[in-house]
Amino acid sequence: MAPPKPTETAKKVKVAILFDMGGRGDLSFNDMAYLGASRAEKELGVQIETLTPKSLADMVPVLEDLSKRGDYDLLVLVGFLWTDALNKTADKFPNQKFALIDASTRVQRANEVDLLFREQECAAMVGVLASSMAKSLGGNKVGAVAGMDIPPLWKFHIGYLYGVKYYEKKTGDRIDFIWQYTGTFTDTQAGYNAAMTLLQQDVKVLYGLAGLTHVGMFNAVKEWNERQGKIAALAIGQDASQEWISPMNIPLSGSKRVDVAVYTAIEMVVRGTWKGGIVTLGLKEGGVGVWDLEGVREFATLAAETKQLKDMTPDDVVRIVESQRKAYISADAQRIADELRQRIVNGEIKFKMPATHEEYDYIVRELLAGNLDAALERS
Amino acid sequence: MPRSSLIIEISISVLLSFLSGYLMLLVMGYDASRVFTIVLSDALRNPHYLMIRSTPLILTALAFSIPSLTGVFNIGGEGQFYLGALLSLMVSYLLGSSPLALATGCASGGLLGLVIALIRVRRGVNEVVTSIMLNWIIYFLLAYSVTMHLYDPMMPYQSVSVPKAARIGNLDLGPVSVPLIFPIAVLTSIAMYFVIFHSSLGYEMRVVGSSPKSARYAGFNPERVIVISMALGGAMSGLGGSLLILGHTHAIDSTMSGLYGMGFAGIGAGLLGRNNPVGIVLSSMFLSLLIIGGEAAELRAGVPTELADVFIGIIVIVLSIPHLARVIVSRRVAS
Repeated sequence: MAPPKPTETAKKVKVAILFDMGGRGDLSFNDMAYLGASRAEKELGVQIETLTPKSLADMVPVLEDLSKRGDYDLLVLVGFLWTDALNKTADKFPNQKFALIDASTRVQRANEVDLLFREQECAAMVGVLASSMAKSLGGNKVGAVAGMDIPPLWKFHIGYLYGVKYYEKKTGDRIDFIWQYTGTFTDTQAGYNAAMTLLQQDVKVLYGLAGLTHVGMFNAVKEWNERQGKIAALAIGQDASQEWISPMNIPLSGSKRVDVAVYTAIEMVVRGTWKGGIVTLGLKEGGVGVWDLEGVREFATLAAETKQLKDMTPDDVVRIVESQRKAYISADAQRIADELRQRIVNGEIKFKMPATHEEYDYIVRELLAGNLDAALERS
Repeated sequence: MPRSSLIIEISISVLLSFLSGYLMLLVMGYDASRVFTIVLSDALRNPHYLMIRSTPLILTALAFSIPSLTGVFNIGGEGQFYLGALLSLMVSYLLGSSPLALATGCASGGLLGLVIALIRVRRGVNEVVTSIMLNWIIYFLLAYSVTMHLYDPMMPYQSVSVPKAARIGNLDLGPVSVPLIFPIAVLTSIAMYFVIFHSSLGYEMRVVGSSPKSARYAGFNPERVIVISMALGGAMSGLGGSLLILGHTHAIDSTMSGLYGMGFAGIGAGLLGRNNPVGIVLSSMFLSLLIIGGEAAELRAGVPTELADVFIGIIVIVLSIPHLARVIVSRRVAS
């Protein structure tokens, strides 16, 4: 790409953030995208405008209209629902830049960048920490309530299992692993049922990877603990920091930083480093990870502002999460997780992206048999 | 009511609702004139979008209005719309034919309307209750089919697509590209105009609607007319779902965002068009204009995305006031 011309640097870069139908206020995906955009507004001095289409039917006309006008240096499309619309539009407007967040059209175009996450990397961290939590609870089984059997979930599955096996190898403790697909991202009852079944099989730690469905899992864990009158199991959230929902029962959340993806896309335009294709964000880029206490506080504050944080203050949430993490994650495990993190960041550990269901099945089978290298790219 | 006074009444209502919308924006601290300019100009600047947007609405409005002429309240337009969309998608996917898919959509919606009407005339079950139940049944049937069986493996949050051969395309007229589904909707609406106002069936429907007793006295069978009007209404909604899928979205997403609420929005468009098919075309375009303008206003003026919904709500309420007034006055006179 050509370096930015001097006239371009004088003019303010204009960016439109196009949400999916949920729009702002979801305390998750769309709000995080907005967070990234407003950071870009402050730090990169760009001008941000937002739009929430009413339905799938509006996506193509909106994209065509905005591209035709050419008012915006970049259109950021938040979420997979835009995939098809972008595919139908991008070729018609070669001068319009598009960034698709957390999805890919699988078509290489000079004017389109798809930002994906290396979900395996955060799931692996979670796997190590979850194993330690199970041990502290006096058990040796960890599990997950997952959504649909689709490629992004394959990545979580492989990463999580890798982390568990990594822990097993480092400590010599045997950890059993149960992965459960629910077939849905929207059915809290299905999440509750799946979680209850797993809890009855003595699974101590449940990782929620099913969007709204795993809110049902949170409820199941909470109820399970209330029934037994003690913390008998723990839950782990994903994407946004979800600890505030029930900090006693959810001491940890994996992060998927939609905000970082949006910021990265805008930065590419501002700094003139734009290049079409697929960009993946992992631990190294801060695109995925485990939420630290600062992140926990940020989301608890957001929840408090929208009156969803019932009888706690954000400070309470942070305090409880901190003490729960101390109580259930051993110093040893933390050290192992940090070491794993380091090895991923410096490129020593690089996860494969399974292309087919067969390859995914194979990797899972090998991992279960203790062959950790099966999940990795040969370097 | 004479046509001229009807037009005056609607114009005053629309003006009044705009005025209240304007005041609302001012109170909320926005530059109301600028927002209004954006709302009105943006949609008109993009006729293709406007036509695509109003197509399904025209048909769901007809689905509400035709039965309401006979005094039946069809709020099952939503479910009829889903069923039309789902079956058209399946037929077009399996057989690759758009006429066949359109016919299926139309027939399935009609059948659903027929069932609701039969339950009403045979068993005396209120059509509103049946409609709501059927809406949910079809909703979950559709959600289940799309997420479990019809999903596209490459994009699992979306159903399989209508094959290229079965899609209804655009007609390029130089500056404007006309989505062909729009003229189909308008022609259907005009056909319905002739059915309602220039056919004996239409006459029977209107008589049954204003007084079932006199209809029976005149030798009409009100039950038969009700069943026909509901079937006709259902067919309209089913066709709407068909057209949306074949001519625009080409697929159904697992959140059903493209379909959800379209049937209910049709009730507003039907009321605003005063149950007249020609009025419905205009009211559907007008409401779509507000929706498109609302999106533009969010983008350019930063107003909340719900603005268009609020506007439409105000318009529907203000428009119902004169009718309410007439009902009250006629009751007074009667007593």
